[in-house]
Amino acid sequence: MEHPQTNVNAQITPHYRGMTDDQCRLIHRASLEILERTGVLLYYQPAVDLLKKAGCYVEENRVRIPAHLVEWALRAAPSHIRLYDRSGKPALQLGDRISNFGTGSDCLHILDHRTNERRDALCQDIVDGIRVADAMPHIDFIMSMFLPSDAPDAADVRQMEGMLNYSAKPICFVTYEWEGTAEIIDMLEVVAGGAEQLQARPTAILYINPTSGFRHNEEALRKLMYVAEKHLPCVYWPEVGRGLTCPITFAGAMACSNAGHLAGLVIAQLVNEGAPVALCTAVPFSLDMKTMVVPYVDPDCKAFGLEMSHYYNLPAFNWGGMSDSKLLDEQAIMEATLSLFVATINGGNLIHDVGYMESGLMGSLELVVICDEIISWLKASMQGLEINEETLALDVIHEHALSGDFLGAEHTLRHVREDWQPRLIDRHNYEQWMAGGGTSMRERARAKIDEILGAEPRHILPPDIEKRIRTITERVIAASGGISLKD
Amino acid sequence: MADMVQRIAKKLYQGDIEAVGELVQDALDAGMAPGEVLKDALLAGMDEVGRDFKEGVLFVPEVLFAARAMHAGMDLLRPLLADSEIASSGKCVLGTVKGDLHDIGKNLVTMMLEGGGFEAIDLGIDLEPGTFVDAVREHKPDVVGMSALLTTTMLQMKATIEALEEAGLRDSVKIMIGGAPVTAAFAVQIGADAYAPDAATAVEMARELMA
Ligand code: B12
Repeated sequence: MEHPQTNVNAQITPHYRGMTDDQCRLIHRASLEILERTGVLLYYQPAVDLLKKAGCYVEENRVRIPAHLVEWALRAAPSHIRLYDRSGKPALQLGDRISNFGTGSDCLHILDHRTNERRDALCQDIVDGIRVADAMPHIDFIMSMFLPSDAPDAADVRQMEGMLNYSAKPICFVTYEWEGTAEIIDMLEVVAGGAEQLQARPTAILYINPTSGFRHNEEALRKLMYVAEKHLPCVYWPEVGRGLTCPITFAGAMACSNAGHLAGLVIAQLVNEGAPVALCTAVPFSLDMKTMVVPYVDPDCKAFGLEMSHYYNLPAFNWGGMSDSKLLDEQAIMEATLSLFVATINGGNLIHDVGYMESGLMGSLELVVICDEIISWLKASMQGLEINEETLALDVIHEHALSGDFLGAEHTLRHVREDWQPRLIDRHNYEQWMAGGGTSMRERARAKIDEILGAEPRHILPPDIEKRIRTITERVIAASGGISLKD
Repeated sequence: MADMVQRIAKKLYQGDIEAVGELVQDALDAGMAPGEVLKDALLAGMDEVGRDFKEGVLFVPEVLFAARAMHAGMDLLRPLLADSEIASSGKCVLGTVKGDLHDIGKNLVTMMLEGGGFEAIDLGIDLEPGTFVDAVREHKPDVVGMSALLTTTMLQMKATIEALEEAGLRDSVKIMIGGAPVTAAFAVQIGADAYAPDAATAVEMARELMA
């Protein structure tokens, strides 16, 4: 601008807030009361001891946490987590309202894109899923999508091996039990070149699911304390179910959810001040009280409970891009689209479960590819308005407006490539579309998958590292007794 | 009498625990046979609840409160009923197997079995095979129900069946299993007697196992 001007805030993105500051304060206050008055049950003695030493009121494993400790932990935790790609470049910022998208883990079934049939997932599907997710420009991080029915033992370690071998993107990973967790982190350290290197440039984030906001199981706490000690990032998500493990009404459910997260945060910060933790704060889950299924997509899941993460200035974990449908039908696309939209406007930082179907039991590669397009669309639509001399283009208007010829303006040529371009959506006229095969979006997604999987898999790791990773996997499989369902 | 039966069944459907207790007492005072109250009012009322739940008319907590109302009535009838009349429904023990903490499904199955007139004992979560063995010794159930939501912990169902075999208790019970990754084929494979994909079917299966 030629002339100085104050009080202009022109570079803004679309605005949305699910909760007001006062509402956040009320939920925060309720959570503090829950933690001080009701407390939580911790099924891991070292965690109980730690909290006792810090001044909590402890009766056996029931721990009541004073407000000042919670507020100390909130100040101690970092507001951002940076995840790096395999080459050591910063890839994701988790914090503020920056949205990153990724797949989910552990689907038992796959909707096979070749046959359109639902079948048990296999080891090969893990590799295929990772390769497809890796090739998607808008899938920012990966979670190995499938649980292999042909090798259920040490499946978490096998999944990590696949993710390390076939993608360089940051990883969000699950471990089923305590056993295997340390080995999986060993694998990450081997790839990063050592424990310190991984700590300085973490490439992965561990996803921990304690039993509920009020009951934190041994494994979950052990994992939380282990990664906090190592200063590695984790997602700590004590899910509470409305009408199941917390009140059915939203305010109470959100306060319980939030309280559970804060308990985890306090533990992590006591283990290691500054330990990086992402939370899903005040988002409870629901059970469909008619069908007894836990829906993954529902309009009143109150994803705006994530506002608590923003209120605390902490990284926010949530989900999007999934469906409860059993088919890749209109419901699937509607739910995937809306859930991605809701997750994004609520400012989720680590939006996972892209490609999930059937209430988290089935995964679809086609849905991942279609969601990639939806995410791309959303990114474009959330882009802020840029107002400056060049974009306002008053001189260009003055020159061309009356003749009505902007197509020939040099200004148009300069900016024409800035518009969003679809990859899967079709915008041809009828004849052009027919000439191109007259395909549906789904057919194009399928073709994309075939193209990706038909190419030679790229090897991410140097051969010696790949071998060392294999050795760890084999050790864990041997230790697990090599049990198999086919016995 | 028919009117009495109707009123009890209606209050039961509404989950009105207090009213069902009072009306059952009224029916008894009016000289109705305890066995009839049980069968025509309480169990028949619960059948309607079960049907409407399956049809998607009722919600889970409504079924739970109806079941509680039924049990309030049962408590009054129990001392008056002949042994043969009480034993008709059957006893189940249920739990989530070792290493597994998912309990929502198991809790719902327990609740629906209670609603179906069974005595259902919830053993909890993360249960060693030995805990099931001890519970079978202690409670002498007709049916043992196991729940698992993880592929890794499904194998604990097999281990539990083996533990029951070793303890010489396998033939004294029927074994029913369930949970998202569990299938009918898996039930056959590990030698369980039944599988049910949801809580409503679990009640039907338990009834079949008792027959
Ligand atoms: C809620 C949930 C949780 C909650 C559980 C809370 C609780 N108190 O139970 C929490 C957050 C704690 C959790 C933790 C984990 N979970 Co979980 N969880 C789920 C989820 C979303 C829903 C399960 C549920 O409650 N459904 C509702 C109930 C009513 O349904 P249901 O359990 O299937 O029960 C019905 C039937 O199966 C049947 N039934 C059930 N039991 C029985 C028993 C008998 C005898 C009979 C006849 C019938 C029967 O009747 C029920 C009613 O109709 C599922 C996804 C899914 N769709 O199943 C994942 C899921 C089961 N979890 C999964 C995973 C991986 C985990 C974790 C390992 C994640 C982690 N690393 O932190 C941990 C494991 C903790 C542990 N050691 O157990 C995977 C399992 C993959 C696998 N098969 O191995 C799933 C499938 C999600 C996914 N794709 O990743 N989870």
